[in-house]
Amino acid sequence: MAIHERSLVEPERILRKERLVVDGVDISGDWNLIILPRVINDYDLDFAQEIINSPDGKTINQCYQCSYCTASCPVHNYWDERYNPRHFIYLARLGMIDELQKRADVMWRCVSCHKCTHRCPKGVLVEEVLKVILRTMAKKGLIDEYPSKKFDRFFTESVIEYGRIEDGELLFGWIEKQGYKVFKDPILKKPIPFIGETPEWLKQLTMKPLKSMNIDFLVLNAKHMLFHPKTKNWSRFKQVLRKVMQEEGALH
Amino acid sequence: MGVIGKRVAYYPGCSLEGAARSYDVSTRIVARELGLELDYLEDYNCCGAMESKNVTFMGTMLLNARNMSLARKQGHNVIVAPCNGCSFSLQRAEYFLETDRAVFDKVNALLREGGVDSLDQIPQTYHILEWFYHEAGPQKVKEKTKKPLRGLKVANYYGCLYTRPHFYARTYAHAGGQEEGVRPRRRETADDDEHPYYMNALLEAAGATSVEFEPMHTQCCGGPHSLSDEMVSEKFVMMILQTAKRNGADIIATECPLCHASLEMYRHRLMMKGVPDVDVPAAYFTQLLGLAFGYSANDVKLKDNLSDPIPVLKRLGLA
Repeated sequence: MAIHERSLVEPERILRKERLVVDGVDISGDWNLIILPRVINDYDLDFAQEIINSPDGKTINQCYQCSYCTASCPVHNYWDERYNPRHFIYLARLGMIDELQKRADVMWRCVSCHKCTHRCPKGVLVEEVLKVILRTMAKKGLIDEYPSKKFDRFFTESVIEYGRIEDGELLFGWIEKQGYKVFKDPILKKPIPFIGETPEWLKQLTMKPLKSMNIDFLVLNAKHMLFHPKTKNWSRFKQVLRKVMQEEGALH
Repeated sequence: MGVIGKRVAYYPGCSLEGAARSYDVSTRIVARELGLELDYLEDYNCCGAMESKNVTFMGTMLLNARNMSLARKQGHNVIVAPCNGCSFSLQRAEYFLETDRAVFDKVNALLREGGVDSLDQIPQTYHILEWFYHEAGPQKVKEKTKKPLRGLKVANYYGCLYTRPHFYARTYAHAGGQEEGVRPRRRETADDDEHPYYMNALLEAAGATSVEFEPMHTQCCGGPHSLSDEMVSEKFVMMILQTAKRNGADIIATECPLCHASLEMYRHRLMMKGVPDVDVPAAYFTQLLGLAFGYSANDVKLKDNLSDPIPVLKRLGLA
């Protein structure tokens, strides 16, 4: 007898003996399989309410747990079956925070491919809802810092500061945050790609345009790295953006 | 044909001004050849991509509403974006502004506060591939082709957000579980949601052969996690490249600068690790169309592609 979605049950709650004879009847193997019950008494109903109140999370209550999202999910299918969007929505609606916390190491792995949202028969914006769950958990301090959050913030800071992003700055800035020693010129404090302790693949990739003598490409990107592309008349809009994020509690 | 308009606001996005310059250059070439006009959106800002929306909801609405407002100021009802991420972000904003009155009012008030005109009307966003297909079409491409891409086997990679999710991209005929009638449903120009074919049709009209590439044609490349979650991205890209190679593709045609960069970056890393069957180069579909229209490899900036498709194209006499 198989257990449906076995990955959702902790191994220590599954009891099963290889050899077991009760009252002279042999019930060895799967015939004696028992899942121990558990008591849950710490439902946090405010948690679901906070998700419903946000404009991008309000469709969460339309979910009827068909699991089409999970069946479509590439992270579930090709990476880790513990990543289960249907289950996360279920737990969030019940407010079972500790169960969500147990899955904190995979919860951030959503790659935003939107297969779940696309295929949902009930009109739940699944991807958005999952991000709202994560965002709400982070806001309440229920989850540790995770890699994608660091990157999202790093990216958003750049957008708000300049109005536009620049690939070189993002790439080298992120590499630096990973603990690599990126070599910077002493005056403008901008990274110089070819030297310094960057990963080998990055060094080889940045050498490619140099080897193929693609000079105008190099000049263009060097110019952008030295002088960050900016949107004009941005400062007033920047203040509004910061104010909105302050109201949302997104700046911390 | 001819429902979107021949002259549209062109939102290139940050990538196309820098590392993905080749996509911008080749897009302009193809548009000019097909008799279409791109009106550059002056002074635009970043759409926030897939990252900012995880940090702030209202912030991304504002970022995109500002671009929409600029398009209205230049007198446009249609924005065309060549990047999946940009067209997704604009369409997402379109969805929330149309369905949520409170969001719409708040965004308009904040736009005025930020020194931008408020939105009198919400412009529609289309992916550039959809625009090419509907305003020019395979027939026009065939007419313009001077050097057919004969013998080139292409794996057409569409990526995630070109047709997904249908709530934003409007590729479904019904409301998909949400309230009917709130928003007009399927756009008549939209591509098929699970089996997109516009890129296949355009490149086949230019003489190329498409290889079987389902279901990897819309498989995720790691997207917003291509830097922050390397293990997952690497595996996804490996699956995409190996499927392309094993189905006999010479080249992968892309239509998004993020997918393109992700494929090229992880292709190099996988090759360094000695993973088999990952050496398929990538090129933007506009670059391939440009070659077919008689432009040189230098005109469409093939040198910019880090995966170096020139040897493959040279072997077939195309570059």
